[in-house]
Amino acid sequence: MNILKVENLCKKFGKKEVLKNVSFEINEGDILAFIGPNGAGKTTSIKCILGLQKITKGEVIINNYSLKKNFVKAISKVGALVEAPDVYTYLTGYENLLLQASYYKNISEDSIMDIIKLVGLENRIYDKVSKYSLGMRQRLGIAIALINNPNLLILDEPTNGLDPEGIKDLRELLLKLSKEHIGILISSHNLSELESFCNKVCIISHGEVLAVKSIKDIKKIDENKYILKTDNTSKIKKYLTNIDKIIDNNYVEIIKDEEAMGEFIKRVVLNDIKVYEIKKEDLSLEEAFIKIAGGKKID
Amino acid sequence: MIKLIKAELKKIFHKKSFLVITVIFMFYSILTNVIYKEMNTLLNIDNLYTDELKEENKSLNLNNALELEQYVTNITILETEELKKDYKDMAYIIDNKLYDLILEKNSKKFITKEDITDIDEQIEEYKNYIKKKDWRYFTNLELNDINESLSENKSERLEKAKSLEEYRLKNNVNYAEDNYLNKAIITIKTDLNEYYNLKEMSNLNSEMQKRYEALEEEMAINNYILEKKVDALSNNSLGAVLKNFSGEFGLFILIYVIMISGSIISEEFNKGTIKYLLTKPYKRSSILTAKLLTIMLLIPIILLFMVLIEIILGGIILGFNSLSVPVLIYHNGVIEAYHVLKYLGLLLLSSLPEYLVLSILCFLLSTVTTSTSAAITCTFLFYLIGNVISNLALIYNTRIFKYFISLHWNFDYLVNKTSNPYNFSWSFSLGIVIIYIVIMLCISYVYFNKKDVKNI
Repeated sequence: MNILKVENLCKKFGKKEVLKNVSFEINEGDILAFIGPNGAGKTTSIKCILGLQKITKGEVIINNYSLKKNFVKAISKVGALVEAPDVYTYLTGYENLLLQASYYKNISEDSIMDIIKLVGLENRIYDKVSKYSLGMRQRLGIAIALINNPNLLILDEPTNGLDPEGIKDLRELLLKLSKEHIGILISSHNLSELESFCNKVCIISHGEVLAVKSIKDIKKIDENKYILKTDNTSKIKKYLTNIDKIIDNNYVEIIKDEEAMGEFIKRVVLNDIKVYEIKKEDLSLEEAFIKIAGGKKID
Repeated sequence: MIKLIKAELKKIFHKKSFLVITVIFMFYSILTNVIYKEMNTLLNIDNLYTDELKEENKSLNLNNALELEQYVTNITILETEELKKDYKDMAYIIDNKLYDLILEKNSKKFITKEDITDIDEQIEEYKNYIKKKDWRYFTNLELNDINESLSENKSERLEKAKSLEEYRLKNNVNYAEDNYLNKAIITIKTDLNEYYNLKEMSNLNSEMQKRYEALEEEMAINNYILEKKVDALSNNSLGAVLKNFSGEFGLFILIYVIMISGSIISEEFNKGTIKYLLTKPYKRSSILTAKLLTIMLLIPIILLFMVLIEIILGGIILGFNSLSVPVLIYHNGVIEAYHVLKYLGLLLLSSLPEYLVLSILCFLLSTVTTSTSAAITCTFLFYLIGNVISNLALIYNTRIFKYFISLHWNFDYLVNKTSNPYNFSWSFSLGIVIIYIVIMLCISYVYFNKKDVKNI
């Protein structure tokens, strides 16, 4: 079942176009990794989806309700953590949760307790938030996002401030949640943090979606990354494709499958370029993704 | 909506600033009450004054005619003050009857060097009665004088004066300075002459007409005090503090109101908590309405809370007795007695438009700028400028400020039954207030509905 549909989302701040026709979908059980460098438009997209910023053009449809036309219905099953977990620091964690719960109908204290246990805050929940570490606030932020039992969970850079243990907990939590028929949108500037549990990846750069692919598609490619040491990299330049990279005078980085790499070495050697060393490395998900996306660079 | 309002209240009551202001207010209230209690002592500068006179006497050159005259006045004052200290109940007699005699005696003794045996006898006689605290003797003297005059010439003024003296005898009102019945009698007695003089004149100019009305009011109020025996003009009682509540604590009302309405929106933006609030299943206009209603609800609650604190603290310091003393309002020759709490309630109600306008202004600024400090500072400045403009309009009677809100937002003249200082009708003023409020609310709603939550 389709949970979130973003169609040709455009956003302008004055004359500056920050989002250009952003489109993607999230279905039940999906964990979509929303990847892009800082300033690519991740947070703006998320804020538009949540109605925190007005949409200049395009549609956001959540649970079959248009966000523009029926905000209250559309947003009611959404839980979100945007930017930092900004809560009322003069209240305790528990008071914050109660306060956030009070905006919804029928949230029992038991279910609040369950969520507290789920995010692992049970020991510190009655402390003032002003005494929390960033990681604990992040956990509280996730708890607040879960408080209304959402079927669309939107997490903006949730790994910020979390220690490796926290990231592991979050991963387990999200995997568990995704099995409960909910869709998750999780943004990060670093795909490697998310690749182990996402099933879809959407890469955004300069306000444009470069591509949306499933992790399976990406993992299918059996290409590798090779680091090649030669006598002079300027001579090898004309044999490179646009996803390959010159590192310095002697080293180049080449992404190819084994067969193509064999051909490539043969060609350069025949053209009188000396190859001193070849080292094979695993291709990261990000690089693989770019390869699929048609070689567009993220910057 | 009720859920939203409840959540807002919860947030506000958990704030430290709210608690801090309340603690400061309580201290301030205690201080104010203590000042009211000690007002008479503070104003009682007699000791300081007599010491000064003694010093002055030492430096005077008695060969100089002018300085000698000063010396004579000084020793007269010193003598009467000394007597007043010992015979408080006779203060008025000492100040009025005895003072003149002693001054005459001293003048004769030091300046004209005349024989003072006669006058000395008279003084000693008076002093004897004073020492016996026989104030009735002086009342009877006064009464005899009046009766004598009456036998020659009947007049309303004399009849009235006579009734005052009779009242004094009948109700055992001595001449002590802190006896409120004595004060009322003296006030009327002093006013009588001027009042009847003005009454007999045919063409009163506007100044005189005003003075005439003021005397009429003063006499009516003091007559009421004599009639009902209520200490309504006391200025060191809880009732007096409450009567002056807006004056004494108006600044705190303003601080509370501005503090709440200035932060209720902008703080959510500054702290980032607005992101959670605006992703709740409510329309933005509902959220804004809830915040607005919260303020509207809190203003009367805060006022009640402040009055309650003042009554408790003031009652402990000044005593609760004065709560039963009414506030007297004079209007068209009739005295209306209000229970002090009812009067206070009406007064606060009449100043509600002012606080409402300021709070909505602060709310608007807080919504538009999302800066708490900007909203609070600007509102406070507006309040100060408003006061200045009100005063300017009063002095220059100028019409360019006719539509300026600060000329319209206070309705206390309706409670005190005086006329509007700017000669506006109350309905016109109310209309202006409503127009201001509607405009400010419209701007707030439009702005809040369109506002983007900016990225950090």
